[in-house]
Order: sequence, then C-alpha cells, then structure tokens
Amino acid sequence: MAESSLDVLLKGSSGQRTRGLLRIIIILTIAAAAVASRLFSVIRFESIIHEFDPWFNFRATKYLVENGFYSFWDWFDDRTWHPLGRVTGGTLYPGLMVTSGVIYHILRLLTIPVDIRNICVLLAPGFSGLTALAMYLLTCEMSTSPSAGLLAAAFMGITPGYISRSVAGSYDNEAIAIFLLVFTFYLWIKAVKNGSIMWGALAALFYGYMVSAWGGYVFITNLIPLHVFVLLCMGRYSSRTYIAYTTWYALGTLGSMQIPFVGFLPIRNSDHMAALGVFGLLQLVAFAEFVRGFLPGKQFQKLLTSMVLLTFGLGFAGLVLLTVSGVIAPWSGRFYSLWDTGYAKIHIPIIASVSEHQPTAWPAFFFDLNFLIWLFPAGVFLCFQKLNDEHVFVIIYAVLSSYFAGVMVRLMLTLTPIVCVAAALALSSVLDNFLVMSKPTAETQAKANAKDAKIYGKMKNPVVGIYSYFSKAFVTGSLTLYLLIFVAHCTWVTSNAYSSPSVVLASRLPDGSQMIIDDYREAYYWLRQNTPDNAKIMSWWDYGYQIGGMADRPTLVDNNTWNNTHIATVGKAMSSREEVSYPILRQHDVDYVLVVFGGLLGYSGDDLNKFLWMVRIAEGIWPDEIKERDFFTARGEYRVDEEATPTMKNSLMYKMSYYNYQSLFPAGQAVDRVRGVRLPAEGPQLNTLEEAFTSENWIIRIFKVKDLDNLDRDHSNAVAFEKGIKRKRATKKKGPRVLRTE
Amino acid sequence: MKPWSTLFVLFSVFSGVFAAKPSVDKFQKYHALSRSGPVDLDSASFGELTTAPRDYYAAVILTAMDAHYGCLMCREFDAEWDLISRSWNKGSKLDGLKVVFGTLDFDHGKAVFQKYMLQTAPVILLFPPTVGPFAKIEAEPERLDFTGPMSGDQLYAWITRHLPDGPKPPLVRPVNYMRIVSGITILMGAVTLFTVLSPYVLPIIQNRNLWAAVSLIAILLFTSGQMFNHIRKVPYVAGDGQGGISYFAGGFQNQFGMETQIVAAIYAVLAFSTIALAVKVPRMEDVKGQQLAVLIWGGVIFGTYSLLLSVFKTKNGGYPFFLPPF
Repeated sequence: MAESSLDVLLKGSSGQRTRGLLRIIIILTIAAAAVASRLFSVIRFESIIHEFDPWFNFRATKYLVENGFYSFWDWFDDRTWHPLGRVTGGTLYPGLMVTSGVIYHILRLLTIPVDIRNICVLLAPGFSGLTALAMYLLTCEMSTSPSAGLLAAAFMGITPGYISRSVAGSYDNEAIAIFLLVFTFYLWIKAVKNGSIMWGALAALFYGYMVSAWGGYVFITNLIPLHVFVLLCMGRYSSRTYIAYTTWYALGTLGSMQIPFVGFLPIRNSDHMAALGVFGLLQLVAFAEFVRGFLPGKQFQKLLTSMVLLTFGLGFAGLVLLTVSGVIAPWSGRFYSLWDTGYAKIHIPIIASVSEHQPTAWPAFFFDLNFLIWLFPAGVFLCFQKLNDEHVFVIIYAVLSSYFAGVMVRLMLTLTPIVCVAAALALSSVLDNFLVMSKPTAETQAKANAKDAKIYGKMKNPVVGIYSYFSKAFVTGSLTLYLLIFVAHCTWVTSNAYSSPSVVLASRLPDGSQMIIDDYREAYYWLRQNTPDNAKIMSWWDYGYQIGGMADRPTLVDNNTWNNTHIATVGKAMSSREEVSYPILRQHDVDYVLVVFGGLLGYSGDDLNKFLWMVRIAEGIWPDEIKERDFFTARGEYRVDEEATPTMKNSLMYKMSYYNYQSLFPAGQAVDRVRGVRLPAEGPQLNTLEEAFTSENWIIRIFKVKDLDNLDRDHSNAVAFEKGIKRKRATKKKGPRVLRTE
Repeated sequence: MKPWSTLFVLFSVFSGVFAAKPSVDKFQKYHALSRSGPVDLDSASFGELTTAPRDYYAAVILTAMDAHYGCLMCREFDAEWDLISRSWNKGSKLDGLKVVFGTLDFDHGKAVFQKYMLQTAPVILLFPPTVGPFAKIEAEPERLDFTGPMSGDQLYAWITRHLPDGPKPPLVRPVNYMRIVSGITILMGAVTLFTVLSPYVLPIIQNRNLWAAVSLIAILLFTSGQMFNHIRKVPYVAGDGQGGISYFAGGFQNQFGMETQIVAAIYAVLAFSTIALAVKVPRMEDVKGQQLAVLIWGGVIFGTYSLLLSVFKTKNGGYPFFLPPF
C-alpha cells in the first residue's frame, strides 16, 4: 500500500508538484544554513560591526537614517580628511546604505523597532540566503539536471570563499554585491536565451543596482560584452543576442550614470569602452545580416564582411587615439595593476600596501573552496561538451576570474560563484548517472541510442547507465564522504579564520580559557569621552574609519584613500624627527596622535610593521627628505633594537611606540614580542608630545600634541628644564667675541 | 671636432694666462666638447672640470663600460645618459644655467674612483657651481648610487630636482622609426600569412578540443598559484638543510615553483577522473569493464584527494581533516 501511495506522490502532475515543494523546502533549508553559518561572530562576541570599511558604511547608514535621503546625497563630511573634508555623498557607492535604510523603514512601518546597527550586522548573512537562491536560478539555466541547481546553491551557501566577506557584522559593499552579481548574470543568461526585452531590461535594472553598490561592477561591464564578442567571433550572432545586449547596454548605462560617483565614467573611461565598442560592433553586424538577407551573391557577402571588419578597425583606432589624446581617461590604476602585475608596486604604493591586493598562493584557493577547486575544471570541461550560448559564458567567466583571483586575494570573491556553478555541473552529472536505481536494459539502451544520435550524431557511444549496484554504492559513497568533509571544512574555516571581528581580538590563555582583548574599543571610547568634540586625531589611514565610527572624532586620513598627498603628509610626520613633525602636526591642527603597538602582546598587525609603507608613500612625495634606505641598517635589515639606524630611532613612530615601554620590564630586559628583539635599556624621549592614554594591553597608544611653550622656549629645552638638566652655556666661553653684523 | 677642441684648449690656456675668469672658459671648453652628448673624461680632465671656481653644474657618471668588469647596468645606462645630455643641450633652459655632462670610465679614471672611495658603478655625481648666480655654499657634490635598474626619466627627475627652479628642457626620446617600420611589416606579414594559411589554420582555431585544452590548462595554472610565482619570483625548489630537496614550502603564504606544479597535477588528475566517471563510464556497454573502470577511477580520486589533503595539512598545521591512506 505504501508503495502505491508513494507512486501517487511521485508520478504524474502531482509528482511534479511534490518535487516543486521539496525543492522549495530544500532551498529554504540551504538559505537557513547559509545564514546560520555566518553567525559565529555574533554568538562568540556580540552584535558588532567588523574591521575597517564597515565602520564607515555604518556611520554613513546612520547619517542616512537620521537625515534623510537628500541630505545624504549632498553630504559634505568635514569630520574626515581634516582640513580638506570629503564630498562623501558624491564619492561613495550608496547601494548598501540605501538598502539597509529601506529595510529599516519597512520594519518601522511594520512597527518592528529594530536598531539600525542590528540591521547592518545581519544584512550580509541575510543577503547570502538570497545569493543561494540566485545561484540556484543561474545554475538551472546551465543544466537540465534537476540536482545541479540545488548543489550549486548549497555550495554557494557555505563555501568559505564567499563567507569570508559576508559574516555577520561584515557590513561591506560585497555583502549585497555578490547577490547582485549572480542575479544580474542570471537575468543576462535569461535574456540571451529568450531574446526578450523584458529580461534584458531586468538585467539592466539589477546592473544599475550593482553599480550603486560596488566598484566591482566593472567586472560585469566587461564580462557581458566579452561574452557577446566571443559569440560573434564564433559566428553565433542571432537576433536574441542583439535584443538582449542592446537593451542591457542602453538601459544599464543610463542607470549606472545616475550614481554621482560613476557619473560620466561610462562614456569617458577606458574601463567601460569594451561595452561601448561591442555595442557599436553589434550594430554593424546586425546591419550586415539585415542587408545580406536581400543580397545573395558570395562576392558581395565577402565585401560586406570586410566592410564590417574595416569599420570596426577604424572605430578601434579612433578609440585608441582618443585615449592617447586624453579625451577618454586611460585605465584606472587599480584595473591596470591587474594586467601589469608590477605596476602597482612602482606607481601606486598605496594599492600595493593593502594585504588584500597581494597575489594568491595555492593553499588559499584550497582553503576557500576545498574540493570545489578540483571539480571546477571538470565542470568547465562539461560546458565545452554542450557549448550553448550560456556555456560559453561560464567558460569565459571561469578563465578570466581564475586569473584575477590568482593576481589578487580579494578577487577570490568573484571566482567563487562560477566555481560553485561548474562544480555543481560536474558533481550532478556524476550523481545523476550513479544514483539511478534501475539497471539499464536493452530497451533503455535503444532509447538512449535514438536520443543521443540526434544530439551527438554518430560521434560518441550512447549513454547506457551503470550496471552494478556496487559501482553505484562505491561512487556515491565516496562522493558523500567528500561532501561531508566539505561541510566540516567550511564550518571549521568559518569558525577559525573568518569570524573574528578584528575590532575585538580573542586569544587562548595557557589553561585553555578564552581571553578577550578589547583595546580598540577601550581606546576609542576614551577618545569619545575625554576629548573635545572636534579634537583632531592623526593616525595611519587604516584606523580612520574606526575613529570616525567609534570615537566620533575628526581624522586626517582614512581608508577612503582619495588623496595620496595627504596620506603622504601623515606618513612624513610619522617617519620624521620630532623637529620636523611638530610643525606638520601644528599646521594640521592635530590634537592627538594614535598609534597601534603590538609589542607587548605579540600582535603583528601593528604600526611598526606597516611603518615601511608609510615611509615609502612619504618618499613618493618627498624623495629628498624621506628615504627608505635610511630605515635599513648597513646590512639591509629592518631593525628596531639597539642596532636600529638613527633615522629609525628618531622617527616619531618609533618614539611613540616605545615611549616608556622599558618601564614595564626590569632594567635592560625590555622585549618586543612581535619582532622578537630586546630593546635598548634607555627608552626614547618625547619632547613635543605627551602620553595621554595607553590601553590595557598597550595595543593603542594615544599622545597629546603639546601646545607652544608658554615661555617661548624650544620644546626640547622645556623638557630638559623640567627634568632639571642644566642648560649648557657653550656659546659664551668659546671663541673670540664676534661683532654683531646686520 | 678635433681642430675645434684644440682651438678651445689653446684659447683656454691663452686666456688662462691673461684673464681673471678661467671658469667661464672651462665651461666653454667642455661645453664645446659635449655638443652632441656627454664629454669623455679622464682623471686629469675630471680634476680640471670639478676644481673649485666653477660657474656651472657638472653632472658626471662614473662607470665601468669594459666588458670584463661585467657591469651590465653601466652598459645599459650609457644610452640613457647620452639621451639625457643630448636632450639638455638641445633644449632651451634658464638664462645663465650651465650644465656639463660627463662620463668617466674606470679605465681612464682609477684615481677618481679611489678619491671618492667608490666600490660600485655606476654612480652619478652632481657638482653645484661655486661662483655665479646659482652658486651653492657647500660645494660638496650630490651623489646618487644605483640601487637597482633605473630609467633615464627617473635619473633626469633626480638631476632637475637638484637644479634651481625654472624652465628645463624635457627629456626627448628620438622616434624609433625602425621599430615602427618593422612593426608595420610584421603586422602586414601576419595578415598575409593568415590569409594564405587560413584554409589550414581555421580548422585548428575553430577546434573545440583545442580551446577546451587551453582553457583547462589556464584554469589549472591560475588556481594552483602560478600568478603568485610570477609576481613574487619564488624559487623553484629549495634545500631542506640536510642535503635533500624540500618540495613544499613551509607556511600558508609561501610556495615553491615545483610545489604549484605538483598541486596543478593533482588537480588535473582529480578533474579528469571526475570527467571519466561522468562522461566515459556511463557509456560503456561492457558490464565487467564498466565495473573495473568505476573502481579504478573512483580509487584514483580517493587516493589523490587523500594525498591533496595531506599536502594541505603540511602547509596548514592545525588542519584537522584527512583521508585514510596518506
């Protein structure tokens, strides 16, 4: 009886419905798993915004919620980049803030009073659920297999490559951008397959949303034209392609130009020229196709083809000419550094200094993708077997993004979606064959023969299926094992590597208990409560957003690195002698200087380890005053101990880091635990700054800039006087008297 | 050239006897010598050029051009130095600003190298004037050591930075007509070749398998960290300190060239076994053969994946997962 009732459920139209219901339940479960696996940090620590950039986004969101959309749009922020300020409304991607603002207001409308901070913290996990759904839709377009989409959704839900940028609290543009990326690609594939204006317009709409959310939209802007271009080269022009692309390009470009930060870039910047060029080429090809319909005659067709090629060549040459003459801006530095990998190190040290922009070693790939990384090539191979328009897209995307991910660690994020698609295609095609219970019979063989003959011709043997149960059990069993390892791996990686807020640090004591190191917030709250509202804080740019967000004090530079000279000024102040630095500090109204010092705790991400980048960036602007060579000993070592160079020992950064540090230790025993060296017995002396605050574990040290001396003395003299050192009267005794000359 | 220079030498000697402004004539002399490029100096003329009363800047490169010194940078930079001095001499500059460019080869100027205690070459010395409108109080020359390969533009920027403010001639690189012509020829040749060979080449270009192979190889290379090798210039293999070879670099952020190739090979084996399971095996009609194929391919995947996990474990010490054989 049970069998027959099961038959009712699984066969016919109600069977379809049952499967549909199951599919929805599975997707919802995947989405729930995706959200749940991103909550480690909330559970371990608290609902807190992570890292650096999210703090700015959070601050901007608060501004948006408090002041409304239009004043957000026109926001001029005078509390950053003192004294320049920043046109924040016109220089950010507003998509993220507007999204959470809208959610906030909707929840308010439903009388659910949620703090805006909780929305910001949980936005990324929430959108990862949507990404899993979008991934399902995208993969279903690639394969007829019912399981591929679900597998891809599950992979996307928990793969660390995506979790790394979307844990709870990581309130960054990528949080919503990956969903938009995948969904835009889905709509684009739909548009190409159906040749429908509706899908094309929807793709343009979501492309516009993507542009408003993340600078990585340039990837879409170039990938879709490339897809079309390859299709044209393969001789696959069709009116479907034409309709989809022209709709997408026209509407999408208009949409993207509505963002003030993007503005006229789509027609003036080389990054966007590929899309424009393909748009023009497509018009030519469409025209040629149209004319060809009326004119038979082989000679004429040849002429037409060469005409099209010639026009395209001329257009290309014109584009190059415009670029050279400067009407069209050349490639942006960040984009250029992807192709010429040595470019950034020479020309834009500020980009090279960011650890996210380093190349990727192979363990990072395996760490972020686990066994998907070897299913990935197999999936790409399967795409070559079918090679419809959408498979061409997968192949291009796969090759390009694996190159990008190899050059820059952070672009692993764009690789992850396509790896999930390809791996799901490969895995589902194995499972679909090995998970069929019934043995192949002569009848099914004949059927398969007939079916395959239509598709592949006589080239290949037809699919017959798997005969023995043992084979099926062996393969499915081992694949299940790999899948289980994958899940365990993802959980382990997420829990260990990607769930630290980096504002709050956790470490293990020898007895195994957890110690929370909360120095950052301690120091920022000290600033908030003990300094006047407009006290200017100078720190290296990494901490600018956090100071703005947590301490709510004006900063000189922050993570929006728009003004290299200003950053170099800070670098110069940090790497020069006090006598040089003090006038710089005075000129920039600096009240407090903040440094991060990990020597006591062994925290390696401190300012002394970043110091060489400050020197390099300063050297780029003042090559005569700051020289990187001076910070290395004669043997070319970067040292901080007794052997350190005089330039190093006299630099403001060194002095601030080690000021009074030796007093923690018995005489001559001071040790820097990060660099693992013993420090000089006598610590550095500060004349123009005084220590204002040092956090519990000495990670953050804040120094107050002294005002000018009341008696108009030199600061060094004043300090010497206070210490009771008698001033040497050297000038009077020595040498003959000199007449004063005017 | 020759009579002119002798004439100037004569003139300078002559005027040196009578006139009270020898430095002007020194400049005239060397400037005349250097009308087309830097002056070749030896110890004596270097001494004369740089002795105290001078109303001009003297920029001298101390170099070792001869092949047996093996100074690659010297020879590479010689053309750039020539370019700099030519650009300067041709262009218009500030009134009264005089610069002499000179080249001192080690073969002719050992004494100078000893005097400045130079161990390396090339080195640029820039002597400021001691008299005249741009005179500097400290007459010590500015010195620039080559820490790495340097372009002419970088050096030119360094020199102009040490000269007084004002208009300076830009660095002009001559148009390389040879390169343009050869570029056009090669382009036309390529087009012709393509047109002639297209019946034979087109089937290859349009071959799906070829493109599949290229794409897969590219993906395997990129995902196994080839770009990291390229950018960081990592060693191919390294010794393990006991006379053996260590194939895998310690640490998560390091890798060797050989290591990435091994990893790429592992990925390739895994991927192709999966392809075989997905595509080849279900098409086999022979029952026994299929069973055997499944066992082989499944076993290969299992063993290789186990190897991959163990390799990863060596890179990342705390990694808790493994598969039995390795």
